[in-house]
Amino acid sequence: MTAMRPDPLPYLGYGLGLRVEYYEALLASPPQVQWLEVVSENYMVDGGLPLVWLDRFRERFPLVMHGVSMSIGSTDPLDQDYLARLAALAQRIEPAWVSDHLCWTGVQGVNLHDLMPLPYTEEALDHVVSRVQRVQDVLKRRILLENVSSYVSFAQSQLTEWEFLAEVAERADCLILLDINNVHVSATNHGFSSSDYLRGMPVSRVQQFHLAGYEQGERLIIDTHDAPVSNAVWQLYVEAVRRFGRVSTMIERDDHFPPWTDLLAELAHARALAEPLLRDAA
Amino acid sequence: MSALQQLQQQMLQAVMDAKPARMLDIRGDAVADAQSRLDVYRHGYRVRLRDALANEFAGLQTMAGRRFGALLDAYVDAHPSTHYNIRWYGSRLAAFLHDTHRSTPQLADMARLDWAISTAFDAANETPISADKLAAVPPHAWAQLRLFLLPALQVLACTCNVDAFRRAADTHGERPHLRRYAAPRHLLVWRLDTTVHYRRLEDDEWEVLCAAQQGAPFAQLCATLATRHGETAALPRMVALLQAWLNAGLIHGLGAAA
Repeated sequence: MTAMRPDPLPYLGYGLGLRVEYYEALLASPPQVQWLEVVSENYMVDGGLPLVWLDRFRERFPLVMHGVSMSIGSTDPLDQDYLARLAALAQRIEPAWVSDHLCWTGVQGVNLHDLMPLPYTEEALDHVVSRVQRVQDVLKRRILLENVSSYVSFAQSQLTEWEFLAEVAERADCLILLDINNVHVSATNHGFSSSDYLRGMPVSRVQQFHLAGYEQGERLIIDTHDAPVSNAVWQLYVEAVRRFGRVSTMIERDDHFPPWTDLLAELAHARALAEPLLRDAA
Repeated sequence: MSALQQLQQQMLQAVMDAKPARMLDIRGDAVADAQSRLDVYRHGYRVRLRDALANEFAGLQTMAGRRFGALLDAYVDAHPSTHYNIRWYGSRLAAFLHDTHRSTPQLADMARLDWAISTAFDAANETPISADKLAAVPPHAWAQLRLFLLPALQVLACTCNVDAFRRAADTHGERPHLRRYAAPRHLLVWRLDTTVHYRRLEDDEWEVLCAAQQGAPFAQLCATLATRHGETAALPRMVALLQAWLNAGLIHGLGAAA
């Protein structure tokens, strides 16, 4: 069955991942930060300070929710308590969209708290598609799935990662959060072409870009999100803007937090790279 | 068992095992062999869990000092995470230390205080009552008056001065000396608005607070104090405690005992 072309979600511009380290700066921020992405699990709580802050940000910024624990690829049953809390948070803050990762985070009731890659098989594809559809039924909205950085690939895989992600999106009728850094990390670690990856993504389903930094390991590059966006990732971002056009873009920084002005400068750089291309294309 | 299920179970075990394991399904190549690739996940697993614990157990870190890392490793080996939020990973640490470090009970006590502070931080919001509401209780209703205390309020029994260690951690102060108590003393942990508080309880306050938590009416609270202090001193002491509880926002409702 061919899925319908997804209705477009709003274009939000250039944003940041909401982190405690930047709470104060964000509330006093100049207008270049146009939207915020919040880590869903941090606010799936009963009360207290996290929700007080969240309400403050909600008054000032469009928000989107980004989860790390849906474990959409796990062979464990979907966690109904998790989904109920996720749905409650979405109802509370009315995000522009809700996203998580194309991965599994645990099995047999154990959570590794990591974004584990899947084998790219027909079996895994059927499994993920049916779970995405169930999640979308619970949340009553399309979700976005993000490509993860990976360090292993499995002998069983029959598809490339981008074929698998594109197929999930088409069959489950969901959208894609394309992490440009993760494409670069996985492409480098597995020796595939990041351009092939971008060309394999269905344009109409890519709703959001992540930009982030990585760390050079001994043999592999490690997706740490704790460094500035690298030149290679900026180049890939330009390629992505050319292919996908105007896509809501944000910088995701999770550790080794730079001074606020440095982060703003990175965001300004993203805008400076993208806007001329978008104007030329218009 | 499906092929996907089998692969995930093997991968989970390979990531969690303390000794390096080999997974036949993982491809190695010229960039890195299969073991190096698996090790990225194995290393990350321990680092993440340890970091999550270190975030929640500041007092324990101060108390345990150089032993802190070994305590966390032992816990990680014994207890995989089962909650979707890594922040809850430490929920069983105090019980683990209680079972495995019986000769140093201060470690479990410390972990219990750290965890109580952590859980109070984002417990459900409750609105405390005002003094006016208490003042409006008619005289005939006081004997059967029941005080509803915050559900998230916690009373902890401690064998030593764990609060001093936590305070040192929070203020980056000097590590205090360990003071063991001859008999357990009690700490109160609660949240007012968005700030988590903890303080020591006098023995009489502890007794009355526990009675109030269990639903004892006001007359019984006063009787408990009278047993300790005598009839004359009991009421002023109860009034002082009520005032302190109101100021701290510990009472969120009033009712009549059944």
